[in-house]
Amino acid sequence: MTAFSQLLISGILIGSIYALMSIGLTLVFGVLRVVNFAHGEFLMLAMYGAWGITQVLGLNPYWGLIAIVPAMFLFGAIVHRLIVQPALDKPHLVVVFATMGLSIFMQNVALMAMSADLRDVPPVFAQSVIIGPLYFKAELLLGFVVTLVCTVALQWIIRKTYLGKAIRATVQDGEAAMLMGIPVPHIFLITFAGGSALVGLAACIMLPLFSVFPTVGLNFVLIAFVIVVLGGMGSIEGALLGGICVGVVQSLSGYYIAPAFGQMFFFILFLLVMIFRPNGLLGQKGAANIGMNS
Amino acid sequence: MASFDRASSARSPLIPLFPQWGRVSIFELALILTCIALVVVRLPTSFQDVLLLTYMFAGLALAWNIAGGYAGLISFGHAAFFGVGAYTSTILYLNLGLTPWIGLWVGGLLAAVFGAVLALVCARLRGPFFILSTLAFAEVVRLGALNWVSLTGGPEGLSIPPVSGYANMVFTSKAIYAWIMLSYAVAIYAVTKALEASRFGYYLCAIRDDEDAAAAAGVNPLIGRTAAMALSAGLTGIGGSLFAQYFLYLDPTFLISPELSFQFALLPAVGGLGTAIGPVLGSLLITPLSELLRSHLGNAAAGLHLVIYSAGLIVVMLYFPGGLAAAIAKLDWRRRRS
Repeated sequence: MTAFSQLLISGILIGSIYALMSIGLTLVFGVLRVVNFAHGEFLMLAMYGAWGITQVLGLNPYWGLIAIVPAMFLFGAIVHRLIVQPALDKPHLVVVFATMGLSIFMQNVALMAMSADLRDVPPVFAQSVIIGPLYFKAELLLGFVVTLVCTVALQWIIRKTYLGKAIRATVQDGEAAMLMGIPVPHIFLITFAGGSALVGLAACIMLPLFSVFPTVGLNFVLIAFVIVVLGGMGSIEGALLGGICVGVVQSLSGYYIAPAFGQMFFFILFLLVMIFRPNGLLGQKGAANIGMNS
Repeated sequence: MASFDRASSARSPLIPLFPQWGRVSIFELALILTCIALVVVRLPTSFQDVLLLTYMFAGLALAWNIAGGYAGLISFGHAAFFGVGAYTSTILYLNLGLTPWIGLWVGGLLAAVFGAVLALVCARLRGPFFILSTLAFAEVVRLGALNWVSLTGGPEGLSIPPVSGYANMVFTSKAIYAWIMLSYAVAIYAVTKALEASRFGYYLCAIRDDEDAAAAAGVNPLIGRTAAMALSAGLTGIGGSLFAQYFLYLDPTFLISPELSFQFALLPAVGGLGTAIGPVLGSLLITPLSELLRSHLGNAAAGLHLVIYSAGLIVVMLYFPGGLAAAIAKLDWRRRRS
């Protein structure tokens, strides 16, 4: 029973970290409907950035937030301007191939610059948090709290602020939004860049927990897409729920079913979700057809 | 997608100068003759390696294009089929002594079954969801091959003993491999052209362009998608067996890698999706470039060739979405005028 509750709670915590990583993609893919295959490489880039800061300045990776989040916002804006925006009015294949090209580009630039070695940082907190018989990494708990704060804050922005309303209006009907005086191209730019900035935030939180290497994005991008889809495209609290589901299932199956095939699990789960719940847990109709503008 | 002027083909000459839908042109015949000549002239060994890989990738890109270009089933998981083909013929040869000449057909058949399963599993998925699923599928196959040590040798891989002979399908002469790879590419080119000229080819394009309309017109999208994927996967599997016989060493981290899958997709994308000549042009341009970069720069620049062609892909996609095939089509002044 202790093992089970330990696994369950670890699963929830790790799942919330996955959710944090997916919130950026929820904005970009779920809300804007832009298929960014390079999302995982954005994460990789930001993790290398945070790792660089810890190595050069000797600070812990959380301080990296101050530099990484604005840097990723800028990076997102540049990518949007150079690659995503020119592809928006073309068939959906163009965005797919262009961001896929960007993903391969970033992976291999990282391979050339950083080699294939795994990089990590030492644990930030010396001690684990102990509650009764259960042990938790303090980094995980911190990540959980950050995710909750982020979810609530983002939800508030999307629901209540002018910016959030403008984003939703743009997504629902770009032409009408433009007629109402909403600067649609700017809204796209800000949302895409905002999604990238959130990836930067996630990277700093994740660095003490995961190693970074050039192809780290491939593992995470599939988890991120699964979470966005599970949560029901574009729903931020859905992404949190989806992330926690993925974390719990991963944690339990890794222990009870087959540890050797643990890696394979992500991909099988992804396929199962795609087959049985392409519209997500919270079930937004037609979600599986998104990104298919013809 | 390239646009085809299908109606005009009826009034063009017997053998058109430039590639056309479903017909053989002088351009293509000249290209094939050039490819044959390049094998006949016996280039230095290192160039022969580049040459035969170029032909192999042309064949693989053509095979990918059947699903990706004609049926619109963009797959980033074709390396799985390549790996299945390579492992099947090799395991049959090593364990049962079955000659790879037969084994490659078994490999192709098994890969076609994998392809059909993938198409059926992803029957309801479209666009990015389909693409991500193919990527996940290939990862499942790769990790399966990596962990099923008793069959595949796991991370250590499998080696084919370098005993040359026709029965073993192992040769000391690179020229023979070049002939095999060239025949492979030409055979798939012929399949593609036959597809363009057939009813089935039109079904696939109809499904790609508007699935609902195709279904309303009496085309069964599920059967079309599954058949296209199986055909494409089967041909890719045969390519995998051929590659195994050339390379004589199977390593799951290379054979079923996402990088290889991307390569299969990038060549037709740069060359021109949904055209027969596109994947060939893509491979003729990119494979020698990347092989030469790799051999000249070596490990110092492990990913440089991929950096160059991903950058090329982004530029092509954003500014020349028709690829090289569209550039060739522009040369055809007679059709452009009409």
